[in-house]
Amino acid sequence: MAPKPVTSPVPVQWYPALSALLLVGGLFFTAFFFIYEATSSTRNRSLAKEVVIAAVASTFLGFGSLFLLLATGVYV
Amino acid sequence: MAMVSRFAFFLLWISVLSSTTHSELVISRIDRRVDLSSHIVRALFSMKVENVGSKVVSEVLLAFPNMQAKNLAAIKTLYNEGRGKVKASSVSLPTAVVEPEGMPPELTFYSVSLPKGLEKGGTVSLDVLAVFAHSLQPFPEEITQADGQLVVYQDSAYYLSPYTVKVQTLGIRLPGGRVESYTKFPNAKLVDSEITYGPFENLPAFSYSPVIVHFENNYPFAVAHELVREIEISHWGNVQITEHYNLVHGGAKTKGGFSRLDYQARSSVRGASSFSHLIFRLPPRAHSIYYRDEIGNISTSHFWGDSRKTQLEIEPRFPIFGGWKTSFTIGYGLPLQDFLFKVDGKRMLNITFGSPMDEVIVDNLIVKVVLPEGSNGISASVPFPTKQGEEIKYSHLDIVGRPVLVLEKSNVVPEHNLYFQVYYHFNNLSLLGEPMMLISGFFLLFVACIVYMHTDMSISKSSASYLAKIQLEEVQATVQQIQNIINQCLAVHDKLDASLRDLSRTGDVQSCKIARKTADAQLKELVKELKPLVTFLHHSPQASHIWPKVEELVAKEKDMQEKMFLRHSTVVDCFEKKLGGREIENRVASQQQKLAALRQEVDDLLEFLDEI
Repeated sequence: MAPKPVTSPVPVQWYPALSALLLVGGLFFTAFFFIYEATSSTRNRSLAKEVVIAAVASTFLGFGSLFLLLATGVYV
Repeated sequence: MAMVSRFAFFLLWISVLSSTTHSELVISRIDRRVDLSSHIVRALFSMKVENVGSKVVSEVLLAFPNMQAKNLAAIKTLYNEGRGKVKASSVSLPTAVVEPEGMPPELTFYSVSLPKGLEKGGTVSLDVLAVFAHSLQPFPEEITQADGQLVVYQDSAYYLSPYTVKVQTLGIRLPGGRVESYTKFPNAKLVDSEITYGPFENLPAFSYSPVIVHFENNYPFAVAHELVREIEISHWGNVQITEHYNLVHGGAKTKGGFSRLDYQARSSVRGASSFSHLIFRLPPRAHSIYYRDEIGNISTSHFWGDSRKTQLEIEPRFPIFGGWKTSFTIGYGLPLQDFLFKVDGKRMLNITFGSPMDEVIVDNLIVKVVLPEGSNGISASVPFPTKQGEEIKYSHLDIVGRPVLVLEKSNVVPEHNLYFQVYYHFNNLSLLGEPMMLISGFFLLFVACIVYMHTDMSISKSSASYLAKIQLEEVQATVQQIQNIINQCLAVHDKLDASLRDLSRTGDVQSCKIARKTADAQLKELVKELKPLVTFLHHSPQASHIWPKVEELVAKEKDMQEKMFLRHSTVVDCFEKKLGGREIENRVASQQQKLAALRQEVDDLLEFLDEI
């Protein structure tokens, strides 16, 4: 079998744009999370909803910051 | 004197041995060319070996005096298949150290294994390239800034071989500067900075005739005492190379003071032995190059690149004179797809071993290949012997650390700048480890917020203010719920409105009636939900200030429901009586107005409650 070059899973040129998009999405969900925390009263707050929003926000922020690291040259 | 006595000892040995050696092989011709133009000595032996014995011979011995052998950095034997002038493919033959019996201990022997045995009367042509480090001795050992650097090279005019040599010549190429002296015996000629000895004919085995050449060589004697090359692979698309140099000028030591003025004014004369810049030939598409030392970035560097190579020229912080040291770090990134390949399910890194710097001797080279976290089954294939080890490195976002393959080699010359391969297994899912860590980090932050918002931090659970707070929260929650329910009611109203509009468009009375029935049921349900909440609020002392508003809201909403149904039945009636559109409008106009006013009031109240 001939050697096949290994490439990155996502083209390197996409990293800056991808990081910006994901971070904006992540910050949007983070804002949504904190607005929900601040405005809903203690009794009406639903734990499931909080956790779901937190999970979505942290997924976006996690991938966003990973691509930010990669785009700035910190190859993790 | 010591040298003379050593030679005397040699000659003694040789006289003993020449009588006892009965070799099958004879070197019919050997041309030795020694290149002294840089500080790395390269000797190329083109030899023709003939078998005069009766047995088939499969190996040829090469002898080097121990003095030379200890500096021998690389040896390569090429075997030319073609005959005569047509040099077809040349094959590299394995060349290894051996210790044959009955040979003098002052000599080190290398054995070249021939690809096929040499028959009786057969000949074979071999090209041997031997590369020596640290073989030019500076003499004098200390010079001033203004002096040129003189060095001494020692060799033998006769090829030192365990075989009889029929015809031989020796050519020594000098860098072209001043030649202080050279051994004129036997039969030496100096023409255009090249000294030739010979030809000599029919010399017995182990013939030796010392030759000393004393000449000027101002080539940059760049010697790296230690070079640590770290090759870090990231499957996210980069091979990062970091090289830590510990560089010294390996030539004659400088004595007296250093005059910056002299150096600056006439650096070619007053600093001929020094060097002020170094050239690195990096692989193509190298990017993110940096050059720094302990105190920060060094700005004196130049960089060119095209599709085939990248060249980096750096200037150390000061010119390097004999014995002076400097240490610095360069680093660069390379695209992953140029160096990492997939072979039979394994990953293969294919990258050069030595330093990319021009003509540098590395006394101790440590190559560390840092593989991504989660790699296993690591093996390396290096074209020359190295010391191998493994360690663990902790870097960004690591849990168990990255496996590091450490390759160590001493006496490295540019001839060692060959490709070597590192094989390892890697699962692409391991790539997700890093984002998972970041995600869990952010998630923990959110969880901390959730926990903080959900925990009751008050110390005294029975104090009046605490109880009041609890009650207030309850009131708030109830008001929110009421608001929710009212909003749902309004949504039902909107649906009912929509059904009326549908009716005026399609005239389908039946579906309109069904819509009314469902709306009725939904509203009843909502009102049922609303009742306990309103009662609670009515009895709660904390809610006294908003109770009137809530009561008004609930009343208005009820009113709205009634009006809504009234209008609905009116319109449906009219439709059943098949009245004209204008007449229907006239009939419901007043109700419509009232409803709009009520809706406005309800919205205002909701907004007011929101603000509380």
